Amino acid sequence: MIASVAVVGHQNNPLYLQSFTNANDALKLHHIVHCSLDVIDERVNNPKRSVSTLNESYLGLLYPTESYKVYGYLSNTKAKFLVVTTDLDVKDADIRSFFRRFHAAYVDAVSNPFHVPEKKIVSRTFAQRVSGIVKAFAAGTNG
Amino acid sequence: MANYLAQFQAIKNTSDRLVVAVEDVSDLWPSVKEGLEKRLPLKKASLNNKTRNPVYVENLQAEFILTTDSRLRSRFPQEQYLFWFREPYATIVLVSCEDLDEFKTILKPRLKLIVQNEEREWFIVFVSKAHPNNDQATKNAKKVYARLEVDFNTRKRERCCKLDLNGVDASFWEDFDFKIVESIRNTLDRRAQFYEEEIRKMSEQRLMPVWNFCNFFILKESLAFMFEMAHLHEDSLREYDELELCYIETVSTPGKQRDFGGLEHGDDQAALLKPGFKPLSQIVQDDSFREFEFRQYLFARQVKLLFRLGRPLEVVMRGYSFIISFSKTLALHENTLPFCLREVWVISACLAIISSTSSTYDGLAAPDNEKEFYRLHGDLYSLCRIKFMRLAYLIGYGVEIEKSPVNSASLSMLPWPKPSIWPAVPEDASAKVLAKEKLILQANPRMKHFNIQRKQLPLEPSSLLREANRRRASLSVGNLSELIDYRQIDGSGIDGHQKFSPSTTNSMSRTYSGPNLESSLSLDRPMRISEVHVAAEHALENTVTDPDLLKSLSSLEEFEQKYMELTKGAADNYHHSWWKRHGVALDGEIAALCFKHGNYDLAAKSYEKVCALYAGEGWQDLLAEVLPNLAECQKILNDQAGYLSSCVRLLSLEDGLFLAKERQAFQLEVVRLAHSEMKHPVPLDVSSLITFSGNPGPPLQLCDGDPGTLPVTVWSGFPDDITLESLSLTLTNTLNTDEGVKTIKSSDAHILKPGRNVIKLDVPPQKPGSYVLGVLTGQIGNLRFRSHNFSKGGPQDNDDFMSYEKPTRPVLKVLKPRTLVDISAAVSSALLMNELQWLGLIVKPIDYSLKGSLLSIDTGPGLMIDESHTIDINEYAKTMEDKVHAHDSNTITENNTHPLEPKQLYIENGKIALPDWASDTSTTLWFPVHAIDDRMARAASADSPHRQNMVDGMRTIALKLEFGAFRNQIFERTIAVHFTDPFYVTTRVANKCNDGTLLLQATIHSQVKATLCLYDAWLDLQAGFVHVRKENGRPVSSFFPLVISPSSTAGILFSICIDNMAIADQNEVVQAESILNVMYGISGDRSNGAHSPTSLKLGSSDKLFFKVAIALQRPILDPCIAVGFVPFSSNCLRVGQLINMKWRVERLKDLEASPSSSCKDEVLYEVDANPEIWMIAGRTMGHALLSNARGSRTEITVTCMPLVSGHVRPPQLGLPAMDDANISCNPPGPHLVCVLPPTLSSSYCIPA
Repeated sequence: MIASVAVVGHQNNPLYLQSFTNANDALKLHHIVHCSLDVIDERVNNPKRSVSTLNESYLGLLYPTESYKVYGYLSNTKAKFLVVTTDLDVKDADIRSFFRRFHAAYVDAVSNPFHVPEKKIVSRTFAQRVSGIVKAFAAGTNG
Repeated sequence: MANYLAQFQAIKNTSDRLVVAVEDVSDLWPSVKEGLEKRLPLKKASLNNKTRNPVYVENLQAEFILTTDSRLRSRFPQEQYLFWFREPYATIVLVSCEDLDEFKTILKPRLKLIVQNEEREWFIVFVSKAHPNNDQATKNAKKVYARLEVDFNTRKRERCCKLDLNGVDASFWEDFDFKIVESIRNTLDRRAQFYEEEIRKMSEQRLMPVWNFCNFFILKESLAFMFEMAHLHEDSLREYDELELCYIETVSTPGKQRDFGGLEHGDDQAALLKPGFKPLSQIVQDDSFREFEFRQYLFARQVKLLFRLGRPLEVVMRGYSFIISFSKTLALHENTLPFCLREVWVISACLAIISSTSSTYDGLAAPDNEKEFYRLHGDLYSLCRIKFMRLAYLIGYGVEIEKSPVNSASLSMLPWPKPSIWPAVPEDASAKVLAKEKLILQANPRMKHFNIQRKQLPLEPSSLLREANRRRASLSVGNLSELIDYRQIDGSGIDGHQKFSPSTTNSMSRTYSGPNLESSLSLDRPMRISEVHVAAEHALENTVTDPDLLKSLSSLEEFEQKYMELTKGAADNYHHSWWKRHGVALDGEIAALCFKHGNYDLAAKSYEKVCALYAGEGWQDLLAEVLPNLAECQKILNDQAGYLSSCVRLLSLEDGLFLAKERQAFQLEVVRLAHSEMKHPVPLDVSSLITFSGNPGPPLQLCDGDPGTLPVTVWSGFPDDITLESLSLTLTNTLNTDEGVKTIKSSDAHILKPGRNVIKLDVPPQKPGSYVLGVLTGQIGNLRFRSHNFSKGGPQDNDDFMSYEKPTRPVLKVLKPRTLVDISAAVSSALLMNELQWLGLIVKPIDYSLKGSLLSIDTGPGLMIDESHTIDINEYAKTMEDKVHAHDSNTITENNTHPLEPKQLYIENGKIALPDWASDTSTTLWFPVHAIDDRMARAASADSPHRQNMVDGMRTIALKLEFGAFRNQIFERTIAVHFTDPFYVTTRVANKCNDGTLLLQATIHSQVKATLCLYDAWLDLQAGFVHVRKENGRPVSSFFPLVISPSSTAGILFSICIDNMAIADQNEVVQAESILNVMYGISGDRSNGAHSPTSLKLGSSDKLFFKVAIALQRPILDPCIAVGFVPFSSNCLRVGQLINMKWRVERLKDLEASPSSSCKDEVLYEVDANPEIWMIAGRTMGHALLSNARGSRTEITVTCMPLVSGHVRPPQLGLPAMDDANISCNPPGPHLVCVLPPTLSSSYCIPA
C-alpha cells in the first residue's frame, strides 16, 4: 500500500505531500520523506556511487527499512518525487511507471499559469489525479 | 562423510598454518633448527590464487614438523585424503655426508626412497659440517654435494642446496626461501585443483537425492581454509560467499521441513563475530545445518576474513544487510522462536558489529568511504534503537517515549512480534501489575507549551492491547465479543493506555481485586494493558541472556540511559555521514530526553538545530511540532530574545498548523514580554510576520523639495489586533546608493489589524530620485522589531522562506528640480514713461498648485508701484482665446468658472497673496506703476536721426513667489519692462525762403503700440529766432486733432525767421533751446502696450502734455575760415581700401583779435568719424600750420579706411578752437559718400 507520495522542490522544500493512511499521522510521513532527501542528496552529490542511475530520473529504492520502503525519482529540474510504501515486495517496473505518471501530473500542474514556481501545489485537480494514480497503482499491484 | 565434521572442526582449530615436513636423514635437525625457523614467517612468498594469477603474500606463516613427529605419523590415508589441506606443503630432506662412497652406497638409495612419492614437493638441503680450515673435509663435502646435484637435480628443477654450518652463505637462504616457496606454491596449486575438481563433481549432483550439503561444505570449507592458511584471504572469502549462496539455495528448497534453530539458551545473542560459538557437529541436521546457527557461522567466517583483509567498511555493509535479511528470516520463524528473540537478536547483532568495527576502523579511508562507514554505523545504531524502543514499549515504558515523528515513523509501521501465543501473565505477578498500572497512571502526558493540543502520534502499529489479547484469544475462541466490549470500555484505540481513565481503572479493580484471583486469570478473560506489559516483561526475561540488555530494561532510568546512548550514537554517526537530516532529527529526540531530565540548556541547543533544519527547507509541519518545545526551553532558561523570536516564528507559520486559540496565545506571550520589564530592549526580526509593500498603482510623485505623505500597506500576521508604539520605514534611493537610507516615521501609534493595514507616513523633502522601501522598524513595548520582508501585495506567503528579494518597484519618485511656475511680462511693447501705466505679469503654474502662494514685488530704480490702486487679476486671456479658437463655444463657459472670484487684490508689505482660484490656472496680474525719467526728450536732426537709447527706458522689477504646501518652493525672477516717450521728433529746415522765412518741419514718430492723437502743438523758440508774424508758435496750418497710428509718423510745419535783433541782447537770459509742446491723447489697450493713464485717475483730463527740446542753429553769417572737403581722386571707394581724406582750410579774414590763441599761425583740428564705419590711420587731432594772413590756406590729410559699404557719412573735420559761427563749410551740411564692397579675393580659393 502506498502510504504517502510527495513532491519536493529543488531546494528541498515540500511542494506537495499527501498521505494515504487512515490514521492522523501524516507528520511521521513528513519525517520519512524529509529524511529520504538525505539519500537523494547523497546519490546526487556522489555520482561515483551511482553511475548506473546518473542518467536516469528514477532513483530506485532509497530507503529500505524493515517496515516500509521509500522510492525516489528526480526530474531534470531537480524536483524530487517520493513514494513511501508499506508493501515490501513491489516490482521495480510498477514503481517506474507510477513515477512517470506522477511526473506527468506534476508537469501539468506546474504548467498552470497561475501556479507560482517553487510554491506549494494547491491544485485540487492535481490532488485528484495523484489519488487516481495511487489507486491505479494499488489495483495494479494487488491484481 | 558428515561423520567427519567433528574431526574437521578439531583439525581446523589445531592447524592454522602451513606445514613443512622435515625429513631428517642425518640427524641434523637440532643443529639447523634454529637457523631454519628464523626464516619463518616467510617474508615474501609468490603464490598463485585460485585463478592462477601470482599473488605476493607477506609474512606467510609456516611450521617445520619432523616427519617422525606424531602429528604426521598417526594419520590414516583416508584422513590424509580428506583433510589434505593440513598435510605438509613441502618436504625438506636434511642430509650430510663427507664420504662419497658412503653417499653412493647408503645415502643415495635412501634418498631415492624418500623422494619417490610423486605427490610430495621436496628438496634436499645438504648440510656441510666441514670447517673452512679443513681443506680435505671441505673438498670431500663439495664432491659429495656435486654428486648429489647430479643425481637429484633435473634439467627443469634444481632440488638441492647446500648449507655450510661453519659460515653460512647469504645466498643459501635466498635459495632456501625460493625452494620452499616454490614447493608450497606447487602443492597449493595441485591441492586447489584437486578440491575444485571434487567440488565440481559434487555440484553436479546438486539436484540428486544423494546430494549432501555437509559433504559439500567440508570440501568447500577445506579449500577456503587452505586459502586462508596460505593468506589468500580474498579467495577464501569467495569460497565462503559461494558456500553461503549454495546454502541459501539449499534451505530455500521446498520439501524438507527443517529445524530453524535459535531455541537454545544464549541464542538471543548474535554470534556474528564468533565462528566457534557452537560446534558444527551440534547444528548438523540430516544432510545440512540449522539455519539460525549456520548462517551466523558463515557470516562470522566472512567477517574474520574481511578483518584480515583490513576492510571494516565492508564488514559494516555486509553486517547491516545481513542483519536486515536475517531479521526477515527470523520473522518467518517467529512463531517458533522465543518471545521477541528477533528484536533481541537484532540489538545484539547491531551492537556487536558496531563495537567490532569502530575499534578496528583506522579512519584513514577515503572521505567517501568514511562517510559511508559512519552512515552505516548510524543505521546500525538506529536499527538497534528502534528494536530497543519496541522492547521497552512492550514492557510498559512506552508512556515515557517521546511521541515524535521520528519515533512514530520507526515504530508505528513496525509490526508487533508475532509469537504463536502471546505470553501469559506469570503467577504471583500482581505486585508487578500494580507497579505497571502505577507507572501508566503516573505518566504525565506532557502538555505542550501554549496549551497546544495535538493528537499524539502513534508508536504502535495497532493497539497492543488488542494484539496481545487477540493472540491469546486465538487459543479459545468465544470471548471475541467480550474483547470488543472491553476495548470500548477501555477506550483503547491506537493509543489505548493514554485514555485509561481512572474510572475505568476502578471498575477494573473491582473485577480484579487481589492476588488470590490471579490464578483465575483464565484465557477467556482479556488481559489489561498492565498485564500485557508484565507478561511481556516476564517473557523477555526468559528470552534475554545478555545481562546488559536485561539491566537496560530493568528500570525506566536504565532504559533512558541506554536509549540516550543509542540515540546519541546514531545521531553522531549520521552527523559524520552524508545523512545530516537523520542526525538532526535524532538530535530532536536527544533534546526531548534532555528536556525531560531538566537539562534545558542542552535541549534548547539541540532543538535549535532541528528547528533550523526544518525552517531552512520549509518543512513547516515538522517545524510546528518542534518549535513549541524550543520555545518552552527558552522560556525556562529565561532567554527572552530567543523566546520572543520563537513566538514570532510560531506566529508566522502557516495558518492551518495551529488553532486560532493557540496563535492568540503566542501573540499574548509576545505582547506580555514586550511590555514586561526587560533588562535590555530586545531587537527582533519579524520579517516573516509583518510584511509591507507600497500601495499598488503608480508611485507617489513629489517635486523636489516638497514633503509628502506616503501610504504603505502593512500586512500583519498576528491573529489579533496589535498596538505598535511607533513605526518607521527606511527609503532607499535606487539611483544614488551613496546617500544611504532615509528613515521616515509614522507620527502616531498604530493598531495593526490582522491582515491588511494602510499606514500613512510623512515624508520630509527628499533628494530627487526613485525610492524603494527598505526596512520596516517599530516598537511594541520594549520590543524593537524589524521586518525586511516585502510582501507582493497579498497576504504574507510563508513559502517565501528562500527569497528575501528586495522590492524593485519604487514607491516614491522625487522629481528632478524643474520649473514649477513661470512669471513673465504680459506685454512686450513699451509703456509710457512718466505716466501711470498698468504693468501686466503672467503667472503661469506648470502642473503645480500655487495654492496659498505669496508674491513679493520689489521695483528697481526709476520705477514705483502706485499703492493707492488695487491690483487687477484675471485669467490669462491669451490661453482663453486659444481655447476659443480650438474648441466650441462651450469651452468659454467653462473658462468662466470663476466669475465671482475676487479680481481685485491689495498689496500688503510689498506682498500679494494670490487667490485660491488662481492656484491652478495662468493668471495675469496688473500693477499700476509709474516710471520716472527727469530728462527732457530732444529732437534730432532729420539727417541724423538719433533714437532714444533703449536702456534709458528700461526698468526692472524683482519678483519672488513663495509657493508649495509649506511655501517651501521659491521662484525668483527679475523682469525688465520697457518705458518710452510717446514719440520722438526729428526736425529739418524744409525750405529757406527769400524773405528769410524758414520752414521748420517737425516730424513726429510714434513709439508706442497705440494710437496717438495730437490735440495741439506749439513751439517756444529760442533766442535768435522768432515766429513769422509774431504768432503764438502754432503750426502754419492748424489741422488738429491729428491722429498718428502706431509706428507711423506725422509732420508739423512751423514758419520761423531769424531774429537779427536778438544778438545785441547778450546779457538777457536767453532760451538756449526751442521747445516743442505737444498736447496729445493716447488710446491703447494695456494688453498690447502703452495705454492711456487717464483711466487711472478719474475725472482728470485725458489730454497729456509732452515737451521736446529742439536745437536750432543760426546760419554762418561771418565766416573767418572756410573748410572745404576735397573730392576723392577716384570715384569709388572700396571697403578695406586706404584712402586719403583731404580738407582744404582757408583763412577768409585776418584774425587779429584772438588773444586766446597762443600760437596764431596754427589751427587746431579734429577729425570726427564713426568708428563703426571708418578706421582712422594716424592722429585724429592736431595742429595745422595756417598763417594769420588772409587768404592763407592749408590742406589737412587723414588716411582712413572704410569698414562698411553703402552710402555713409564721411569723417568730418572740426576746428574746436573756432566758433562754429565763424566756419563756413563746403558742403554746408552733412553729406554722404558711396563705398563699394570689397573686391572678391580668390587668393584663398583652392583650385579643384
